[in-house]
Amino acid sequence: MKPMLSTDLNAADTTVEKAKIEVKGLNFYYGQSKALKDINLSLPERSVTAFIGPSGCGKSTLLRVLNRIYELYPKQTAEGQVLLDGKNILDRSQDLNLLRTKIGMVFQKPTPFPMSIYENIAFGVRLYEKISKAEMDNRVESALKRAALWNEVKDKLNASGQSLSGGQQQRLCIARTVAVKPEVILLDEPASALDPLSTAKIEELIDELQADYTIVIVTHNMQQAARVSRQTAFMYLGELVEFDRTEKIFTSPREKRTQDYITGRFG
Amino acid sequence: MSVAMSLHQRRKRKNGVMMALCVIAAGIGLAWLALILGALIYKGLSGVSLAVLTEMTPPPGDAGGLLNAIYGSIVMTIIGIVVGTPIGVLAGTYMAEYGRFSRLTTVVRFINDILLSAPSIIVGLFVYELLVRPMGHFSAIAGAVALSILVIPVVVRTTEDMLNLVPNALREAGTAIGAPRWVVIRSVAYRAALSGIVTGILLAIARISGETAPLLFTALNNQFWSSNLNAPMASLPVTIFQFALSPYEEWQQLAWTGALIITLTVLGLSIFARSLTGRREDR
Repeated sequence: MKPMLSTDLNAADTTVEKAKIEVKGLNFYYGQSKALKDINLSLPERSVTAFIGPSGCGKSTLLRVLNRIYELYPKQTAEGQVLLDGKNILDRSQDLNLLRTKIGMVFQKPTPFPMSIYENIAFGVRLYEKISKAEMDNRVESALKRAALWNEVKDKLNASGQSLSGGQQQRLCIARTVAVKPEVILLDEPASALDPLSTAKIEELIDELQADYTIVIVTHNMQQAARVSRQTAFMYLGELVEFDRTEKIFTSPREKRTQDYITGRFG
Repeated sequence: MSVAMSLHQRRKRKNGVMMALCVIAAGIGLAWLALILGALIYKGLSGVSLAVLTEMTPPPGDAGGLLNAIYGSIVMTIIGIVVGTPIGVLAGTYMAEYGRFSRLTTVVRFINDILLSAPSIIVGLFVYELLVRPMGHFSAIAGAVALSILVIPVVVRTTEDMLNLVPNALREAGTAIGAPRWVVIRSVAYRAALSGIVTGILLAIARISGETAPLLFTALNNQFWSSNLNAPMASLPVTIFQFALSPYEEWQQLAWTGALIITLTVLGLSIFARSLTGRREDR
């Protein structure tokens, strides 16, 4: 049994929930410039947390620290601690590929691999599991069902993933992420390139997925944050200004900067 | 209003003149190509017969074919491609993937560009010093090595360019799902860039199958059938060079026919390469 931790920054309505990810004293640098300044927050398990804030505030950067994808590029460094189930993933001994199977990510622009719909999903599964064709068929089907895409593609699993519409491609990417059975799913503005209908589908999906996964979503769209998330973190100029329950952030924020942002006075 | 109209008229006239100039320039370019193809077909086609493909190059005054030259060209081109392509693809992969942000890549790219535009006769002389002199004789191997040196920069360049066209988002997506870097390169980046890389290889084949200078000092030529890689070997370009300069009519005719064969092969390869790239752009 892991220790139960208090995750709410607001002492007034403390809820006791297990923290899936805890960020402690995180600083992040692009070369010399500091992009994240002493971030502390903890993300409760099986719920949706939204990062909001104006462009360049560091919300995507923070998300990209959580699966260490920033390490693809030189001169990007993180210091501090990011604990996943109590274990520091910024540790040098952390196996990056294993970390990323536990923490999946979906990007702003749909990124289907240049292969068939079926292979798009089987690809990730095959990396770490040896399973039979029948089992794989099941895995692909359940992942596509999970992403509410099965009915649209079940007759053309061998068609190229890139032949789907933008909204379908994004759901394929979610299916692909879900198929490897991660614990956490990071969503980097997953609906900003999509039409309103596809956006609604994605949001519905997020709502369903939180029963099984810890979800972190970066969004520019404040209504979206209000609709899908349980906690919201407002960031500004690399700082975490306020982190609280979503209703609280949108109805009675403590900070003036938060208030100004959500009422559209800047950003 | 009338001022605006006259301005509009003037622009229209200017546009007409510029467009005519562009059409004429394009026409001149195409005309040369048509003339070359026409001359080759006119002079070469009359010499095309089964004998060209079945008989050896003849002694002066005799009838014959180009079999040994065609064979030699094919063998040396294949070896050149087989040796040069992996080196080129791997170097291009390093530059676009592993070494994307490294200083070494900048240096290699610069040197590769120099190699890309280096006169091929220099490559021939280099291989002459490297292989022919120490071995004491000309050989097909030396010819193939010279050709492979010409293949490398072409393939390096196209591989790097094509991999650079693969969006970074796709690499991030592969990485984000837990794939190690080499798997991302193999299963995602290569797949996305495949038709472009293949096009580069086809263009390299087209380039080396017409090269004469690098073979002059390396494979030399051979009047007879030889499949010995350690001996001089005939090739179409060198045979054309030799026969075209000769005073004998049969040889000159064979040179025209050989030139037609090379041109059509290169043309066919280029069109095929184009169609591959075209298909990718359609998607």
